[in-house]
Amino acid sequence: MKVNKEDNMKIEDLKKLSNEGIKNIPSVERRQFLQFGLAITGVFLGGTVLSLTSAKNVDGAVSGGKILDGNYPYSPHYTMVIREKHCIDCEKCLDACRSTNNVSLHGYRTDILERSVPKAPGERERIFMPILCNHCNRPPCVRVCPTSATFKDEINGIVRMNISKCIGCKTCMAACPYNARFFDEEIRAIDKCNFCYDTKLKESNGKITACAAACPANVRVFGDLTNPDTPAYKLIHSAGKVFWVLRPELNSMPNVFYVEK
Amino acid sequence: MILEKKIDSKYITFGPQEILFVVLAIISMIGLSFGAHALLVGHDNVFGTSREIPWGILISPYVFFACLSTGLCIVLSLGQIFNIEVFKPIINRTAFLSLVTMATGLMCITLELENPWRVPFFALLSPHPASNIWWKTTIYSLFMIFMVFNLLSLFMKNEKKARIFSIIALLTVTMGNLNMNSDMAILGGRGFWSENYMPLYFLTLSTLTGCAAILLFTWIANKLNKETPTEAENNALRATSRLFLALLVGLLYFTGVKIMGGFYPEFTKNPEAMYLLVQGNFAPNFWIGEVILAVILPILLVLLSRGRNKGMLAIASISCLVGTFTLYYHLVIVGQLIPHYFQFNVVGLPQYYSYTPSLHESMITVGAIFFFLAAFVFGEILFRKINFGK
Repeated sequence: MKVNKEDNMKIEDLKKLSNEGIKNIPSVERRQFLQFGLAITGVFLGGTVLSLTSAKNVDGAVSGGKILDGNYPYSPHYTMVIREKHCIDCEKCLDACRSTNNVSLHGYRTDILERSVPKAPGERERIFMPILCNHCNRPPCVRVCPTSATFKDEINGIVRMNISKCIGCKTCMAACPYNARFFDEEIRAIDKCNFCYDTKLKESNGKITACAAACPANVRVFGDLTNPDTPAYKLIHSAGKVFWVLRPELNSMPNVFYVEK
Repeated sequence: MILEKKIDSKYITFGPQEILFVVLAIISMIGLSFGAHALLVGHDNVFGTSREIPWGILISPYVFFACLSTGLCIVLSLGQIFNIEVFKPIINRTAFLSLVTMATGLMCITLELENPWRVPFFALLSPHPASNIWWKTTIYSLFMIFMVFNLLSLFMKNEKKARIFSIIALLTVTMGNLNMNSDMAILGGRGFWSENYMPLYFLTLSTLTGCAAILLFTWIANKLNKETPTEAENNALRATSRLFLALLVGLLYFTGVKIMGGFYPEFTKNPEAMYLLVQGNFAPNFWIGEVILAVILPILLVLLSRGRNKGMLAIASISCLVGTFTLYYHLVIVGQLIPHYFQFNVVGLPQYYSYTPSLHESMITVGAIFFFLAAFVFGEILFRKINFGK
């Protein structure tokens, strides 16, 4: 059987063709392509199924692949949205955290991880990813503590510490999926991020944390998920916006969300 | 004067057993003094643990001894609760070993805590019933109390009362065993323990090590006391060796499941940790410790001994106990070595975290093992003197 030459086009032939641009592609196709790209990026950024979920269908807090029926369990329901691609690793947030909360030199409450993410074949992109306690709605650390030394604040959902009750078993450290806890020998107890509960958050009347206030690029956006007027709320409730949480497969329902920009 | 008269000469003899007890106790004290030092200066300064690896080797002897105690209690129940005649001659020693192994385990976990003095206060004043650790500590502490009463009743030849305490102790310690698994399994970030087979695995391991301990320490006790076991004791040991063999076959099955997980990720929930264990840096430990020492060699020795050669059974038991200790070490450590953010392409993040037990941790472990050995010899001295009303 004779094969039509046009049906059997080779890569060499394709290379000779001029780029027709995007003006002739229907907008539906363009949107689909864009969504596909975002989904792939989401996967590369470490998200899983959640990364593929567009926020436009979200009624409530979405984390770990779960939708909470549009209801947030706390009021205020504090959150932090990390605009990952804005971070330049200046570490002002880390300094502010340490000085504001008198964080011991034994450890840190927040950190910035440098990632080398595959962008295209042979190309990698550097991304700085700030990490901190995710103040999960189902915190594994709280679940394992035998003396209730670490607990979920019933009003605002912050995962806090009562250091006088800490027996130093370090099970919470072993349980935390985010490496957000450390044992401070100076206070002989676990120390961790508490969204500056007793320092900056208190001073600012619940408006901001030290790290968010110190960030020159507005990477860390602190806010209240029950208040639709806050930037944090808007960042993860905008139509078509892709956001994700870290390690959603553990179903701990984190309250720290990540967006690209 | 009256007191002096009451002290019989047999209570103040100082023979080889007493000397052995003192030597073991001194070694134990030396080891445990490292624990006291660690409490004073803080674990960060003397332990090999870190932010990334918060649980070190000291969890392993805790799990080992607590599970061993559970296993001993289960074997004890065969004679004491279920009235299986053949197991009756080993009741006293098994009950005593079950008590001291639990005491050793709890001592290990106490020395692993940074603030152990807060436990009695806040475990009672601020309990967290959702925490498996809270349940475990409470259950094991209660188990010790029931076991003390069981032993006292046995001393006083009140078998009926002893049986009741034994039943309660068995129920308690079995719940503790389930908690031991749950405690580890819910460590979401470190899912090494969350395999579906874990509860059965723990129960098998516990009973297996219980059998091994009975075979080994009865043999040692016979040598120490220069006694020839009676026919009834021989039958008890033969029955224990059969149970030991059956459980070894069970462990062989679980080890096979682990090996499959190490080679084929679809068989495990934690492929990274299983790969590290079966094919990675821990492979020599795994194949020598968990496969050869814990399973293969004991099976061969038990088969060769035909349940009669006590020396060979004792070697099989030592091999199995050493192998299972390695197994518990792997269970605690290997899962933690997988970095939290391993799937995020983090620059400078090691492929695996590293952990090496420090001198203090090793010495505390040695101290705990010698504490148990000293307690065992002390028990033999006590048994000889009291002779359980024989």
